[in-house]
Amino acid sequence: MFQTPSVPVGEEGSAKLVAEHVDVYYGTFHAIKDASLTMRGQHVTALIGPSGCGKSTFLRALDRMHDLTPGARVEGCIKLDGEDIYGPDADPVVIRHRIGMVFQRPNPFPKTIYENVVYGPRIHGERNKARLDELAERALRQAALWDEVKDRLNRSALDLSGGQQQRLCIARAVALNPEVILMDEPASALDPIATSKIEDLIGQLTEQYTVVIVTHSMQQAARVSDYTAFFHLGEIVEVGSTNQIFTHPKEKRTEDYITGRFG
Amino acid sequence: MISAASASGAMPSAIGATRGVRRRRFADALATVVLWTMACSIIVMLAAFVLYMLYLGAGAMTPSFIFGQPKETTAGGGIGPEIYNSFYILVLTLLFTIPIAVSAGIYLQEYARPGLFRTIVQFSAESLATVPSIVMGLFGLLIFVYTFHWGFTALGGALTLTLLNLPALMRVTQEALGSVPDTLREGSVALGGTRWQTITRVVLPSAIGRMTTGVVLIAGRIFGETAALIFTAGLSVSVNAPYDPNPFHTAETLAVHLWYTRSESVVPDVYRIGNGSALVLLIMVLLFNVSARVVGRALTKRFTGRTS
Repeated sequence: MFQTPSVPVGEEGSAKLVAEHVDVYYGTFHAIKDASLTMRGQHVTALIGPSGCGKSTFLRALDRMHDLTPGARVEGCIKLDGEDIYGPDADPVVIRHRIGMVFQRPNPFPKTIYENVVYGPRIHGERNKARLDELAERALRQAALWDEVKDRLNRSALDLSGGQQQRLCIARAVALNPEVILMDEPASALDPIATSKIEDLIGQLTEQYTVVIVTHSMQQAARVSDYTAFFHLGEIVEVGSTNQIFTHPKEKRTEDYITGRFG
Repeated sequence: MISAASASGAMPSAIGATRGVRRRRFADALATVVLWTMACSIIVMLAAFVLYMLYLGAGAMTPSFIFGQPKETTAGGGIGPEIYNSFYILVLTLLFTIPIAVSAGIYLQEYARPGLFRTIVQFSAESLATVPSIVMGLFGLLIFVYTFHWGFTALGGALTLTLLNLPALMRVTQEALGSVPDTLREGSVALGGTRWQTITRVVLPSAIGRMTTGVVLIAGRIFGETAALIFTAGLSVSVNAPYDPNPFHTAETLAVHLWYTRSESVVPDVYRIGNGSALVLLIMVLLFNVSARVVGRALTKRFTGRTS
């Protein structure tokens, strides 16, 4: 039915980012219920599920984006390399340096392409122009955008097409050399060709980064991810290797979703 | 497809207009014409006004008028020091107004959560904005001229005008910041930016065009202010030197001079001075409005690479 990438035999990947019994509340609304998930280093973990199931809410908890939402509360712990990012000593600025995010709709700053890419390093203190130029080129190459923009780095980022803007946002995130990249439906606002470019990119990014991707497309999850977690009504119903989830789901709800009975 | 019968006129065409359709199309066209006429009338009114003022005041436009000293009782007075005072008070007022209004605007828009404090600040600002300028002038008279014993001063005038213009500039700041989408703020925070970094590096640069337009429009209003300045900055120019840099000098502005000339003055050439002053004032304010757009666009381009 679907083509799934095979998980390398014998290679588990470290437990890079581990969520343990996480609850997320918006005021009194209990959005995420007792979610636990291990996201493995240098692999892609996909979060799938029907609309409103909480997968984006869970993703945002992973880099403390709920800190911005008044009335939002996160309980439980999320450990990056063993340290709880919600602990008393944890600094959100440092955490967001190590965990980057790409949003559903491309959100480049109304600045030049160059200024967009070096924004991250700049706000964390990098001032050396040569070093910034180097970081910008490396990041744009990693995002497969360098050849298209290298002659117009000083033009506005808003002049790029949607697919290019999204790759720019990915470049912006990788310019900081994070360890984890979170992607919230990164290709849902793009056409099929741009989408496949982004999917190819994800495969390349995995060589260096840990990727967690929310997607409403099961085909996409099957194409790009190594592990998949199925969310429903705020709970994680089932977790497994992508291969297993799509061919031999253990839970009935998972099977119903996969086969299209709802969602 | 048009049936063969319609060629002989026996049946209505399938794509031609019926009477009902014609009536609707006419109403549409009529509305378009009426609205267009209303819009044009604005241009016509402005043109008529400007042309008439040009006609009245052009005769007074001589170097001795624009740069000369005013006269108390004889003909031939000029408006040099008054123009200087208008700019002096403008700059001084902006020096006080911009830091306070922009900071308050940033606080209300970016930091304050909806609640009692925010509501009180916004209500206070709105109330301040509705105070008539002449009442504010009286307040300035009582505080700066009498209680502080300053007499009539440029500083007193500037402080009074600050009170008058703070709410407007704060509102402009808030709206300019509010027009920046939250997705940009999210993007900055997701990269590890602090709130202050997000504001100074992403939000303000995106908003600077609108804020500048707001500042220049307020500058136009300050330049033309009369009631508040009559009571605080006075009706005469400095006794020390006509172009006195001391903020405590008596500072009759061009707008106030215009009022004074036509109501109190005893010089024989009131018409010439009045019309000339009015024309200069009008030109200055129009120039402010034009430069508001030019500077606003230039700053937006400089900071964001786009012209809006």
